[in-house]
Amino acid sequence: MSDSYFVDPDVGFIKEVSQLGGQDLKKCFQCATCSVACPISPDTKPFPRKEMIAASWGLKDRLVGSADIWLCHNCGDCTALCPRGAKPGDVLGALRAYAISEYGAPKILAKSVNDPKKLVPLALLPAVLFLVVGFLCNILFGVQWLNFRPGGDTIVHANFFSTWLVDIIFIPTFFFAVVVFALGLKRFVADIHANALLEGKTTKEKIDPVGFVQALVRTVPTILQHKKFTECGENKERATPHMMVLFSFIALFIVTNIFFVSLYIFGQHGPYSQLNPVKWLANVGGIALIIGSGMMIIQRLSNKEQVSSYKDWWLLGLVFGLGVTGMLAQLTRLGGLAGVSYFIYFVHLMFVWYLFAYTPFSKLAHLVYRTVAMTYLEWSGRK
Amino acid sequence: MTSETKAPAGGSIVVVGGGISGLTTAIEAAEVGYEVYLLEKNSYLGGRVAQLNQYFPKLCPPTCGLEINFRRIKDNPRIKVLTLAEVEKVEGTPGNYTVSVRINPRFVNEKCTCCGACAEACGTELSDDYNFGMNTRKGAYLPFEMAFPARFVLSPQIIGTDDARKAKEACKYDAIDLEMKPKTFDLQAGAIVWATGWEPYDAKKIDNLGFGQYDNIITNMMMERLAAPNGPTKGKIVRPSDDAEPKSVAFVQCAGSRDENHLPYCSYICCMASLKQATYVRERYPDAEIHIFYIDLRAPGQRYEKFYKTIKEDAKVHFIKGKVAEVMEDPASKAVTVVAENAVTGEKMRQTVDLVVLATGMQPTAANAKLPADLKYNADGFIINDFEQGGMFAAGCANKPADVVSSNQNATGMALKAIQTLARK
Repeated sequence: MSDSYFVDPDVGFIKEVSQLGGQDLKKCFQCATCSVACPISPDTKPFPRKEMIAASWGLKDRLVGSADIWLCHNCGDCTALCPRGAKPGDVLGALRAYAISEYGAPKILAKSVNDPKKLVPLALLPAVLFLVVGFLCNILFGVQWLNFRPGGDTIVHANFFSTWLVDIIFIPTFFFAVVVFALGLKRFVADIHANALLEGKTTKEKIDPVGFVQALVRTVPTILQHKKFTECGENKERATPHMMVLFSFIALFIVTNIFFVSLYIFGQHGPYSQLNPVKWLANVGGIALIIGSGMMIIQRLSNKEQVSSYKDWWLLGLVFGLGVTGMLAQLTRLGGLAGVSYFIYFVHLMFVWYLFAYTPFSKLAHLVYRTVAMTYLEWSGRK
Repeated sequence: MTSETKAPAGGSIVVVGGGISGLTTAIEAAEVGYEVYLLEKNSYLGGRVAQLNQYFPKLCPPTCGLEINFRRIKDNPRIKVLTLAEVEKVEGTPGNYTVSVRINPRFVNEKCTCCGACAEACGTELSDDYNFGMNTRKGAYLPFEMAFPARFVLSPQIIGTDDARKAKEACKYDAIDLEMKPKTFDLQAGAIVWATGWEPYDAKKIDNLGFGQYDNIITNMMMERLAAPNGPTKGKIVRPSDDAEPKSVAFVQCAGSRDENHLPYCSYICCMASLKQATYVRERYPDAEIHIFYIDLRAPGQRYEKFYKTIKEDAKVHFIKGKVAEVMEDPASKAVTVVAENAVTGEKMRQTVDLVVLATGMQPTAANAKLPADLKYNADGFIINDFEQGGMFAAGCANKPADVVSSNQNATGMALKAIQTLARK
């Protein structure tokens, strides 16, 4: 701890954190109950008490580049015991949302994703993109990749929205997200390391990549098993729906890759038979996604202690919408409702595009940042 | 001659509560020349102060201050003391109240000489509320040595049992009357002062602080009784689990106070009480280590500040800025570990001690049972004084958390308010 520190408050930062769900921040009187109440906070420089004072002083630099805000799983144990109702759990959630915007680029897109006023344009963006790219391809290559009269006896989604068109749009979008994350992570890792050195949270001077990857390998099982979630007292029941959603994403990711490989290597087109094990996995994943996100929505609605802000509903809406449109597209296809089915499929593709394009800027980016922060903790050996 | 210069024609003042605030209001008003009824629901006067070992910051015994007040009551024919008295109903307007009072039976009359034969005759041991249940007493008992009125009481629990019969037989002075029944009657009063005081906040409600789960976690009021010469241990401070002398004591400040899950306000006295209790331990055990965990230390005023500074100089008293939020017990040694984050160093610390004292706050008596009168309360149960309406006033801790000095000042002021109500009549 340095002897003197020039406090340079960033008032705009305080306001933004308040809007992102940290509105009770200023009620904190620094009793430090939260740091003890937290079941997963380390003993050296525990959180979230220090985050609460730094946030109310507007010390943005101390927070945005701190791994500690990511170690929090927002279980709410601190909020339950907080004598002031300052809701430290939600303040940390707001700080994470702020940090995601900070590490996202382009900045305008990063800010827009967290801005309720930009919801409609961002939601319509893929529809415009699909139509423009689809018609352009139709005209330029003389194909029918976007065909509003697919016809045929059976409903085949690819006859309406060609897999070529899907891939020509989604593969670049996917790599766009990967690049945004890579650029963000480069700064993020440097920042959290600098912050850890400054606050005496690690004694290791330089990050060794091999050790870091080994730490990642040790961290992944913790994440998959939701070990940190189950250490929580309050809202313990959150672990199950979160696990359902995470695993269904993994399942659907695998399914998508199988489809991709069979299409381009074996030339096998969809739709798959309902007897195909890949289809089983896809359906189980889809159902788990709907149930998991549905449970989370119900829990948020019934939890009066917790702040639910735009960023939270945004993500839940995305996940639930993704599951429901996917499942409905399939059911209407099997039910022979051609027009409806094609329309829902189009909407489903919009949701998938949101998932690809907006993840680096939305709450879902925790998938990457929290994993890295937990890996950093594991690597640094902090107790 | 105008009527304003005349002495008041009549009307009396009813003071509800015989703790330090009620005593002061009653005595001050009576010494000006007014008739006062002092109603106390316990069998003795003195209230919470009677349970203390020492006052802060002078560290003198409260019995000293109480004794002077009891003397003033005895010398003043205008004060009528009614113990075991409860107000059942209040009707009327300022200057003209009818107060319905119920007197619960004491089963002992004025012939009692405090010989103690009745207590000796009793067999059953009952939990002693005066000492917060840390010991037992007989069914016939003197509340404490200095009790005023100096008269034994029979617990209603033994009425109808063999103990009651034996106690009556043992009394040589015909002072025990087992047929005594509750009495109700009305008092006419021009003004009422509510000095209904406070209760220690129920520490069992603070579930993360382990009171009631672990033997060696006590409250600050229990500490007063342990340290008091007339307490359950005759003034020896020991761990409840094994009666061993504690080598280390942790004080947990704001146990329930300044906490919207419990009492949202500052109870005002707990910081000073813990500082004072640190001197109890240090005086008895020169090697004992004291750890005081606090959010902010509040020592209001120059005298209290000086007291705090003196204690801060003691190398064996450690102050840690950070609220205790977790406790655990070693099942073998019964030592308790308290967990807090030291907000100055930013490190989580675990301190294992022999004894933990929870600095529990004060809750107004009216918070748990509303008074049978048309009074206004704030959200926490403190009575709000409506000086516009007048007639009824709250004094001392019925009105706000306060120490003895402030309570006395406030009680004197309320005596004057009551007198003004009568004089305006």
